[in-house]
Amino acid sequence: MKTAYLALVLNAHMPFVRRPEHPHFLEERWFFEAVSETYLPLLRVFRSLEADAVPFHLTLSVSPTLASMLGDKLLCGRYADYLDSQLRLAAAEEDRIGRDPVFGPLARMYRALYSADKDDFQGLYGGDIVSALDFYYKKGRVELVTSGATHAFLPIFRDCREAVTSQVETAIIAHRKIFGKHPAGFWLPQMGWYPGIGEVLRSYNVQYTVVTTRGAMLGEPTPRYGSFAPVECPSGLVVFIRDAGATKAVWSESTGYPADPVYRDFYRDIGFDLPADYVKAYLQDTDERIFTGFKYWAVTGRTEEKRPYYPAVAAVRAVRHAASFLAERKASASAASGLMDRPPLMVCPFDAELFGHWWFEGPAFLEALFRQAASDDELAVSTLGDYLRDFPPAQKSVPEFSSWGDGGFAEVWLDGSNDWIYRHVAKAIERMSELAERFPDESGLRERILDQAAREVLLAMCSDWALLMRAGKSAGFARRQIEEPIANFGRIYDMLCSNTVSTEWLTRLEKRNNLFPSINYRMFRRKR
Amino acid sequence: MRIHRLDALSIDELYALADKTGLDLPPGLERPFVVEEILEALEEDSEDRRAAQGEAVHIDEKKYSGLRIGDFDLDLDRGESLALRYNETMIRAIARDPSWAFAYWDVADSELEMLRGDDTSAGIFLRVSEIGATGESGDSQREYFDIPVADNDYQWYINLPRPGIRFRIDLCARRGGQAGKFRILARSGEIESPRQGFSASVQDLDPASFELLVLSGVEDLPLDDSSEGNPLRILPSGPARSGNRAD
Repeated sequence: MKTAYLALVLNAHMPFVRRPEHPHFLEERWFFEAVSETYLPLLRVFRSLEADAVPFHLTLSVSPTLASMLGDKLLCGRYADYLDSQLRLAAAEEDRIGRDPVFGPLARMYRALYSADKDDFQGLYGGDIVSALDFYYKKGRVELVTSGATHAFLPIFRDCREAVTSQVETAIIAHRKIFGKHPAGFWLPQMGWYPGIGEVLRSYNVQYTVVTTRGAMLGEPTPRYGSFAPVECPSGLVVFIRDAGATKAVWSESTGYPADPVYRDFYRDIGFDLPADYVKAYLQDTDERIFTGFKYWAVTGRTEEKRPYYPAVAAVRAVRHAASFLAERKASASAASGLMDRPPLMVCPFDAELFGHWWFEGPAFLEALFRQAASDDELAVSTLGDYLRDFPPAQKSVPEFSSWGDGGFAEVWLDGSNDWIYRHVAKAIERMSELAERFPDESGLRERILDQAAREVLLAMCSDWALLMRAGKSAGFARRQIEEPIANFGRIYDMLCSNTVSTEWLTRLEKRNNLFPSINYRMFRRKR
Repeated sequence: MRIHRLDALSIDELYALADKTGLDLPPGLERPFVVEEILEALEEDSEDRRAAQGEAVHIDEKKYSGLRIGDFDLDLDRGESLALRYNETMIRAIARDPSWAFAYWDVADSELEMLRGDDTSAGIFLRVSEIGATGESGDSQREYFDIPVADNDYQWYINLPRPGIRFRIDLCARRGGQAGKFRILARSGEIESPRQGFSASVQDLDPASFELLVLSGVEDLPLDDSSEGNPLRILPSGPARSGNRAD
């Protein structure tokens, strides 16, 4: 009999970036890096655990935009080109430093990693990572859930039900089409919860979601089991609560595991360390200095004088950190269990891209965690759905408005750097609703154009661009990612009002922003 | 960006905000000093919060840090390709956090012309009305305050008097000076300022539940320090429960 439960929840998400009109597009590398450094390594962890018959259970949110990009032929083809380019750079690095006793093994490590990526992606999975994830979904190892269609920060749209339902409905339809199952859970983008979203999610037959510790603790009434058990909203939606201790152990940039001195440093990269002429040849037509993914130094500490990275030392540390993580969770559960009439649950939600992309040893940590937990007599690792089946919530409560952003509310997505967005997005939503009311039963070309209008509105709602504007990183690009769909929508609106359609332009736009093929613009009709 | 918002406040409002931020400023300070003190306090507060729970977003940013590291584009105003406004009479309000709401509005040119007419004293203002506590139903206007705005103002961050309250904001026009008649041009939807502390129900919890709250890490969460909102203040005495707080 297990006396405590641990639920790992990973949020895999990338915003939609796809520019077929350019042979190479710099921001598409975000997606390529995530595939190479997170998604394929995670699949290797799953394979390794399966091969050794180690049971593992994980809840994984695959955002609709990410699922769309993972299934896109153009992007997958470009990813294959990216891998070839990385392999050429790896070969050049072996020529450059292969005989160095310290750095030579690292150059070979990168060649091995990118070779493994190529073998897995093209050989094993036939370019279809979605099906690879689906394999573990159907096996019951990984519980796949969905998220907002374009990762909109929903509390900002709480006064417009059509805006929120369009994000939820599109996501669920896309999930069902891709994975053939209705998602039991819904990852709230940026963990953005507000009282009232529970009713929306339940109306789409979503069973559960996850909120921040603070959002839940400030709920009405206060959860009597703290964060150690889910609560149920009056709508019937079950709300799991993030475990603050587990969060801090992994997330904290200063004291979390990824900050350990022996782990690989994220920032020191040959893209910045080596002469521009040398690396430029492998960076697919960009003159900018950018990260290449080839990093040879360890975190070391708060110093510019970094020590070389030793993967074997880091691997041992990852196993030790997994043990430490489990021991801390067990200690916490042990303290809580005597105060509860059910086994305590600790929910650990993280961005998937933390593991591998930011924290290079993250996948090794996860693998060690599953292996150690498998032989533990007291602690079980569970999906949220499995826990819910065994232990339905015992208390009703409604969490308070909350997010996982700085400040805990909407400060990240609504400040002087990005607040201009909302006037335009809200106007586009209002006009989209107007169009859906005016044209409720269209077919053919007019239906196509209305569906594309709906896609553009959804794209403009993406919260990642607001976040980047606030961070000041790639802010010009982020701004254009909002302006363009708003302008595209405006053009469609004008076309429909004047009854003139440029089919050539529409076709081009459909080919570029090709996500959500089953979208139905009528979801923007006003809810009565 | 905060400095622009602070610049928009009167000296009395700045003092009120300083008080709310926990600053004890001597009366009669020059405006720039008050702003500087508040900015410093807000920065410290932000750092504290960042350390406590903002890490997720900082990690999230790293998804996009693979390139254009030097692209610190601070010119983040509205994009050139989008119009500033839509020439319509409207107002929308969004609750941002327990202390601030964001409102944007517009007055159609024709409406503004009609309002102005030959009355040079005519003007626009926002009326922020409290209409009830969070969780209550009904709509009964209790308290309100007005914020005069210029014709070329289109958006504003509004400092809310207290958390846990439902508000709405009316876009109003007045003719005939301060004593003249006003009319409502547009009304925002209802917004709620979220609670910063625990709900009153926390007092009904038993000691075991308080222990579970502490084990859940509530001591490290940035919560309202009022005695009503902080269960650690109303716990039965015990070193394990009260040891880590400096209050």
